Amino acid sequence: MLDHLIAAARAGDSAAYRQFLAEAAQRIRARLARKIGADSELEDLVQDCLIAVHQKRHTLDPDRPVAPWMNAIANYKLIDHWRKRGRSPIELDDEADIAVPADTLAEVDIETLLEKLPQAQAEAIRLTHIEGLTNREAGARIGVGVSAMKLRVHRGMQRLKELADEDRL
Amino acid sequence: MTDTNSLIDQLANRGAAPPANALARFVAPLAAAGAACVLGAALALDGAFAAMAADGIRPMIVKWGFSLALLLLSAFALWAMGRPGRRTRGAMVALGVPFGLVAALLLLDLAVGNTAFPGTTWQTCLAAMAVMSPMAFAGAIVATRWLAPTKLRRAGLAAGLFGGAVAMTAYAPYCPEHGMLYMAVFYCLPILVMAGLGWLLGPRLLRW
Repeated sequence: MLDHLIAAARAGDSAAYRQFLAEAAQRIRARLARKIGADSELEDLVQDCLIAVHQKRHTLDPDRPVAPWMNAIANYKLIDHWRKRGRSPIELDDEADIAVPADTLAEVDIETLLEKLPQAQAEAIRLTHIEGLTNREAGARIGVGVSAMKLRVHRGMQRLKELADEDRL
Repeated sequence: MTDTNSLIDQLANRGAAPPANALARFVAPLAAAGAACVLGAALALDGAFAAMAADGIRPMIVKWGFSLALLLLSAFALWAMGRPGRRTRGAMVALGVPFGLVAALLLLDLAVGNTAFPGTTWQTCLAAMAVMSPMAFAGAIVATRWLAPTKLRRAGLAAGLFGGAVAMTAYAPYCPEHGMLYMAVFYCLPILVMAGLGWLLGPRLLRW
């Protein structure tokens, strides 16, 4: 489908190009979500990828399929994103979350706080810290990788701590 | 999501037709770097091909055979690596072939006892390689940035090999030396050093 759309787009059909970009965005989003989870940075990264796809379109050979080219760009942008942030999800581990002091979240209504988190992060924390699943088990249950699950839990716990601190002030 | 949709609209309005002369925009910086080195060597050095009268054409064939093969292979590797999703392992392996041939000829040379070394012009040779390799490397970086390399260290390495190969191609006509040991030490090693620098600098210089 992508191949037909880009062929039409290259022939001057701007509607086909719009459809191509929309389809590409959807596929890139799904691909990246498996790796970093559905957090707020995902959409920025998808947009970076779309801009790269557009700017580097002259590197796509017309007689080759689009998907490997597009996936390679998405992977490159993801690695570049991690490099820019100076971290990789592989560095994240449960210790980062355990490092939040045990009494930080005492005396607060966890469910109320969880409702203030992005849904993906709240779900990750419910599964791992309330139901007691491991990151691998929780990831398998909702269909994301271990790294993505760790990232969601890590960010969720950080946000939760901030919210708890704000509530105390 | 709305932002993404608006971005898609903007990009779609610009159209999908690839920029004109994509290949020319890759080749032009490479050719310009090569021309600058050849011209610079011609202006700075005397006696092009003078050694051929005494030593025949064979040393020149060996030097240019190596340098031009490496130049073309590295340019092709850069072209391939600049196109996301393509397999480039073959192009990388091919870059080692000229070095393998030089190693084989070196062993042959050493076996027959032809070990005249280091010759009388090695300092000029090293200076020429040190000045021209980075110039041609810069051209290769500009050319590659026009594409979309995703393996930046590999691409940097190939750009370094290209820089060294161009420098050797430009200087070789003025070089009176012809031993394989000389070639290995004063041509191949500087080229490999440039490639190493390219490997180190690739992620900084080629990021897009």
